[in-house]
Amino acid sequence: MALVEVQNLRKSFRTFKRSEGILGSFKDLFSRQYSTLNAVDGISFKVEEGELLGYLGPNGAGKSTSIKMLTGILKPTDGEITVMGYHPFRDRRAYTAHIGVVFGQRTQLWWDIAVLESLKLLAKIYRVSDSEFKSRLELLTETLGLKDLLHTPVRKLSLGQRIRCDLAGSLIYGPKILFLDEPTIGLDAVGKDAVRAFLRKINRDLKATIIMTTHDLKEIEELCQRILIIDKGRIIYDGSLERVRTLPGLKRRIYLDFAGSAPESKLNEIFGTRVAFERESERRLAGSYDPRELSTPELVKEVFANFDVADFTVSEPELEEVIMKIYREGAGAL
Amino acid sequence: MIYNLQIFGAYFAQFLKTRMSYRTDFFVSLVANILVGATGLLFVVFLMDGKNITELNGWSRAEVLFIYGYAMISMAIFSSVAINLYGFGNRYIIQGQFDRVLLRPLNSLAQVLFESFNLDSIGSLLVGLATMLYAARILGISIGMLDVGWLFVSSISGAVILISVFVVLSSVSFHFEDRIGIAPPFYNLISFGRYPITIFNRVIQFILSWVIPFAFVAFYPATHFFNRTGFELLCYLTPLVALVSVVVAWVFWQFGVSKYESTGN
Repeated sequence: MALVEVQNLRKSFRTFKRSEGILGSFKDLFSRQYSTLNAVDGISFKVEEGELLGYLGPNGAGKSTSIKMLTGILKPTDGEITVMGYHPFRDRRAYTAHIGVVFGQRTQLWWDIAVLESLKLLAKIYRVSDSEFKSRLELLTETLGLKDLLHTPVRKLSLGQRIRCDLAGSLIYGPKILFLDEPTIGLDAVGKDAVRAFLRKINRDLKATIIMTTHDLKEIEELCQRILIIDKGRIIYDGSLERVRTLPGLKRRIYLDFAGSAPESKLNEIFGTRVAFERESERRLAGSYDPRELSTPELVKEVFANFDVADFTVSEPELEEVIMKIYREGAGAL
Repeated sequence: MIYNLQIFGAYFAQFLKTRMSYRTDFFVSLVANILVGATGLLFVVFLMDGKNITELNGWSRAEVLFIYGYAMISMAIFSSVAINLYGFGNRYIIQGQFDRVLLRPLNSLAQVLFESFNLDSIGSLLVGLATMLYAARILGISIGMLDVGWLFVSSISGAVILISVFVVLSSVSFHFEDRIGIAPPFYNLISFGRYPITIFNRVIQFILSWVIPFAFVAFYPATHFFNRTGFELLCYLTPLVALVSVVVAWVFWQFGVSKYESTGN
């Protein structure tokens, strides 16, 4: 059985339209026009043990709402979630003992007390034995670089430091699965790198199952084997990162280095509209083409037959371009 | 149960540590609290110390003071944890702090109640106790071991009733996103529980007994010490009323949690 099973999950919120102006808000006191918003609109997926799943989607697509249902915070309007045999909302207290959660925007630690005290309190809540606590603390202190932070109150930490401490807090009791909602939001490059390296390590070495939402595509590229894209409450893509790159309509790029000056006009003559060339430098050209129209071997063969090429590279479409296209065009892009 | 006591004991210990690091602040607010308690008391003392008013609708000045002191004890216990319910809608619902509460494998209501404490209320507890003992001497009430036991049980029950009422009121915040909530006017209503209930008209008497049972916070249980008849049954009903209040509060709370919408991210 899969570790996480989600079946036709739905969450709807009742919202009301606010009228404008003071008179409007006065009117709202007495009569409100309600409408139902389906934040999550019938999603299904499974996650196996040891997977690192990236959960993507534009703002307001339903990512956070899904995570909140998966972690037992929100009660689903409809549908079924089973995680390790638990129903997150119904079995909240038993269930939350086995999961780790980090929200990038908000800390789970106690604001006023030192990090170490927070971790000790968590160990008590989650009934972690002293020896387990010691060995985990040692491991986390080392991998997350917490040595100098342990005696600082949480409120005095920088954002990057706080996220690292939050990660430690969510792992000190050895959860089987980790939910991360934008864990690197607002971090600088160094901070992002540290968190990323840490997640990769616990996924590989400790076989931790991780479900994370993020807007950082580099993060996804480095970490996730599988991605789920949600838009307007529905899953529009569920699969490997490799497959998403082969979406029709995405252009590939070829970089050509010539022994002499780059023959741009001649190339244009040969390929016409099939390849759009841009000059990168005196001897270097970049061309973008649709692989369905012109295959890469065909293109390379023709170039080599006509010119003296010193070197060439072909690059896959940038992930950012892929995701942007999906966000822009929704399910139609797929 | 033992596990819960240990955890919330640890919460309390942590709270003490942070609180003690601001020592001056602690003592200042302790003194302020004693003064607030004493002012309320002085009002009653002066009001009934006039030449004309020595009794209130058949209740002597000492009896009124006794009930007043009794109420202060229950209210002090109540306000030591009620600080978390005050502004519940704003802090937990609108700012989304309730997410954190739900992510812990602990009872959500207990977490909210025992997240921080208002230790200054120990000041009004002492003022209340002193008032009660003073009034008891005037009334010639001798207090035995059993009476102390009753005082303990009934003042805890009184505090539980108050907490339950405000838990019900706070649960409303789950349904309507609102910063202030509906609880504030009810804080004023608490003072009705400080006086002999018979001074109010029948409708209010009924409400204070069976709808918002503030009369069980001090008045009914205090009659245990008086030489009066007519309240025996209601007096010893106090722990039961507390129990029913908790059940009702828990039902409201659970229903509220199921409607919690969390804030967007």
